[in-house]
Amino acid sequence: MLTVKNLYKSYETAKTRYPVLKGISFHVKKGEFTAVMGASGSGKSTLLNCISCYIPYDKGEILLGEQNLSGLDQEGLAAVRNGKLGFVFQDFMLLDGLSVKENILIPRIIREKADKEAEEYAERLMELFGISHIKDKYPADISGGERQRAAVARSLINDPLIILADEPTGNLDSKSSRIVIEAFEKAKSEMNSTILMVTHDSFSASFCDRVILLKDGVIYKELKRTGGQSSFQGYLLDTLKEMSNAE
Amino acid sequence: MTTMRDLEKKLRKLDYHQARLYLFCNFISLMLITAYSIMMLSPTVQEVFPEGGDSRKQMQAIFVLAVVGCTAFTIYATALFFRKKSRQVGILMALGISKGKLAPILYREILFLSFLSSGFGILAGIPLVVLLWNSFRLFLADSEQMQLNMRIANLGIPLAFLAMVVGLACVTANRYLARTDILDTIKEEHKNEPVKELGRWCGPAGIIVLLAGAVGGYAAPFVSMRLFRIYASGWLNILYAPVFIGLYMILLHTVVYGWRFRPGRSGYEKRKGGSGRKSSSSLKSNLISYSMMKFQGKQTVNNMLVSTVLIAGACFAIFYLPMLTTSMTDGLKDRPYDYLYHYRADQSGLSKKEVEGLASEYGLSLKDWHEAEYVSLGMDGFTDVGGGQEGDKIIEEYWEIVAEGKFFSESSLKELTGTEVTVEPGTYLGIVDDGEENTFAMRTDCKIFTNMSTRKTIQTSFAGWAHYNMLVDSGKGYYVLNDADYAEIAEGAAGEWRGVMHVFNVDGEDDYQFADRLLRSFVASVDESCNLASFYDRVYKIALNERGKEYWGDDTAASLAAKIDLSRINDSDFRLWWEYMPKSVMLEKTDFMRTFSVFLMMFLFIFLICITAACVIGYTRCQTIALNNRYVFDDLKKLGAPPVFLKKEIRRQCCTVIRTPSVIGIIGMSGLYTMILYANDGKLSMTEVKGLGICGLVILGIAALLYAVYYGTVKSLVRELVETP
Repeated sequence: MLTVKNLYKSYETAKTRYPVLKGISFHVKKGEFTAVMGASGSGKSTLLNCISCYIPYDKGEILLGEQNLSGLDQEGLAAVRNGKLGFVFQDFMLLDGLSVKENILIPRIIREKADKEAEEYAERLMELFGISHIKDKYPADISGGERQRAAVARSLINDPLIILADEPTGNLDSKSSRIVIEAFEKAKSEMNSTILMVTHDSFSASFCDRVILLKDGVIYKELKRTGGQSSFQGYLLDTLKEMSNAE
Repeated sequence: MTTMRDLEKKLRKLDYHQARLYLFCNFISLMLITAYSIMMLSPTVQEVFPEGGDSRKQMQAIFVLAVVGCTAFTIYATALFFRKKSRQVGILMALGISKGKLAPILYREILFLSFLSSGFGILAGIPLVVLLWNSFRLFLADSEQMQLNMRIANLGIPLAFLAMVVGLACVTANRYLARTDILDTIKEEHKNEPVKELGRWCGPAGIIVLLAGAVGGYAAPFVSMRLFRIYASGWLNILYAPVFIGLYMILLHTVVYGWRFRPGRSGYEKRKGGSGRKSSSSLKSNLISYSMMKFQGKQTVNNMLVSTVLIAGACFAIFYLPMLTTSMTDGLKDRPYDYLYHYRADQSGLSKKEVEGLASEYGLSLKDWHEAEYVSLGMDGFTDVGGGQEGDKIIEEYWEIVAEGKFFSESSLKELTGTEVTVEPGTYLGIVDDGEENTFAMRTDCKIFTNMSTRKTIQTSFAGWAHYNMLVDSGKGYYVLNDADYAEIAEGAAGEWRGVMHVFNVDGEDDYQFADRLLRSFVASVDESCNLASFYDRVYKIALNERGKEYWGDDTAASLAAKIDLSRINDSDFRLWWEYMPKSVMLEKTDFMRTFSVFLMMFLFIFLICITAACVIGYTRCQTIALNNRYVFDDLKKLGAPPVFLKKEIRRQCCTVIRTPSVIGIIGMSGLYTMILYANDGKLSMTEVKGLGICGLVILGIAALLYAVYYGTVKSLVRELVETP
């Protein structure tokens, strides 16, 4: 579904060049829920921004399904963002003047396919994530957890190839975080959605099928979940400790 | 099906809230510009402010200034609008809308808002000018002259400004789209324009540059005329440019360092051996506010510069009122006679009997009646024959007759005024006021006087001043000759070169109706040949004509100013410039507001425009700084900064943005005004000092208004940044 091959990205100031991603390669399969973790500055946000088509990368390839993102112009990148990617942001990014339902429909509206079928689909998503009762409410009138579930529903409205989630539980309390992670699990189980989530939170990551650990711009280790969530979280925490101690 | 248009409509509703400031700024600027241009281009104002005259140039210059100010705050309001929209745009772009799809949405919205606000601004400008004009007529002064004539053509300037607003909005939208970056917009990070590597010399050097520009610009015309013998060209005004450069440097220094805070000399410089004048607690307490300002430095300084000039313009306009009022009241004070009128001997004029008859109709009687004869002579001297236009070389030639002067004999002056003067044979005295304020208008270098009828001449030389306040003449000047010299030179002078002057008091309480009737009767007693302005020089005209040249006052266009319409006795032109305008304390006092109504209204209006524009710029700039630094306030809150600290930071920002232009603008213009008054005659008269004193009170009023704007701005920012969770 998503293939990243030998990805390089660096930032430049007037005097210095800072390499951030140093040859990252991985593959996310259809229906897989993957987390990317790492300390600050490890390159996880840069990686997500490259995949999200927000910033260009220096070298390497990103394949979304069969499509290679390199070489696409602005219009092409916008079309990929709209049609093939779904986004969930840390601070929800819902438009204040629109109701929950309207917010969910935005990607379809941009695509000019916000028809009856889209509305029915939005209704189904809202039902799936337990937010039907707030469909006419505005973002300012609902809780953080509800906003993030609306954002998850929005990310799915165009049936994207992959959902990219940037610290989706970063602004939520533990209860709301759990509800949002459940929403991702539902998306995966009931819609076979593919999810790539960047997070600091080992608890959220422990629900994933796989966790990619980044350190200084390279993949330190990939962890696959084999057992239950709590044992995976323990394993994850140990590995994170090991990673932070490693030279 | 929900379409992009539906989404756009919904978002637009939300945007109305965000666009309030943009709508407000556009509305205000178009309203002010519409009202100003209607007023400025109205036939009344055009007639009263003579073409090429200083007052018209001032009016136009301040209008340009107001347009620049309005443009400035419109541009910043547009930028602010897009900044407020950045989150919305960022979300849509992140969700896959392309710039190509976004562009028409943004253009449609900004065009709609621009046309809406500008259209209403233009529409509001019309009732505003009618309201101001009529309020002025109702509460302050009214005259036949004060007719507001509006023409469709008057809307040309506001419509051009509207086109500019729309164009600027589109350019800003275009730049915004071209520069916008999803990550920046999502995270609401903005590209600042920080001031880099500013030396501490900047402020003091700015003061020197400013002073050099002020002195250089002011002295340039004198240098041009005295040293190079060339009429100063308008281009010399470019020498004032350092004033603005210096001002910019001072403001830059204020924004980056302030004038009390010295970050460069504290902290690490101390360790490096610097003297460190301020304690590190000063650094800590000011660091955040100065950093915030510094990172918006260029934009802030640009705004403050425009604000400073607008506040200075507002002061210049409003100072006109107290200065004019004090000069009028002082001019009327201590007049020995209630009335003075004079006319050419070839006119019937008004006799004592006729005036007594008029007075009796109003139950008045006359006392202290005196009358005397004077003669108008040709005076010799140098005149410029080089063309007299800007940039022309001054070529002076001596002519035996070059200017007209009005001469009394020693005894006729005594008869008229009771003043006894002795004039040696072969000399003459100039008559000036007690304070000798109008000496610059008198000719003191004459050697020959000529009887314009007989062309007989006498030799003479200037012997000094005689004083009599009522005989101060803004046009030609009154002089005194020795009795024998007067008899010799006046002999054979035709009626048109002789004059009769009457002075008298009213016994008891004077009556305006009588004064008005006397004026009308007097005007009726002279014929059309007396329709000359006091600056129309009959002698100079003859001198030119004899050399085959045309006098400017006879040129069709210019003669409009040099000839006075005797049927419009309430017009300011008539009252101010008619050669034979009688003097009457009652009439001048009562009709003062009416006589100067158009001037007063125009300058009052200019003040309103400038001060409003300055206030809006200050408010908008403070909002921008606060909005751009919102994340700093959020971080400070998270770091545990108490509301008191945050409020202090907001006050510091606003204080610099509003106080600095106010202080510099007010002090700068007060200084310039005083300098102009002093340079007129090399001294400050008591009247001028009094006028400046009243200007001081006016300054307090302006300061109070600006403080109110500061207070309101701080309050709104505190609500937005501190009190909103």
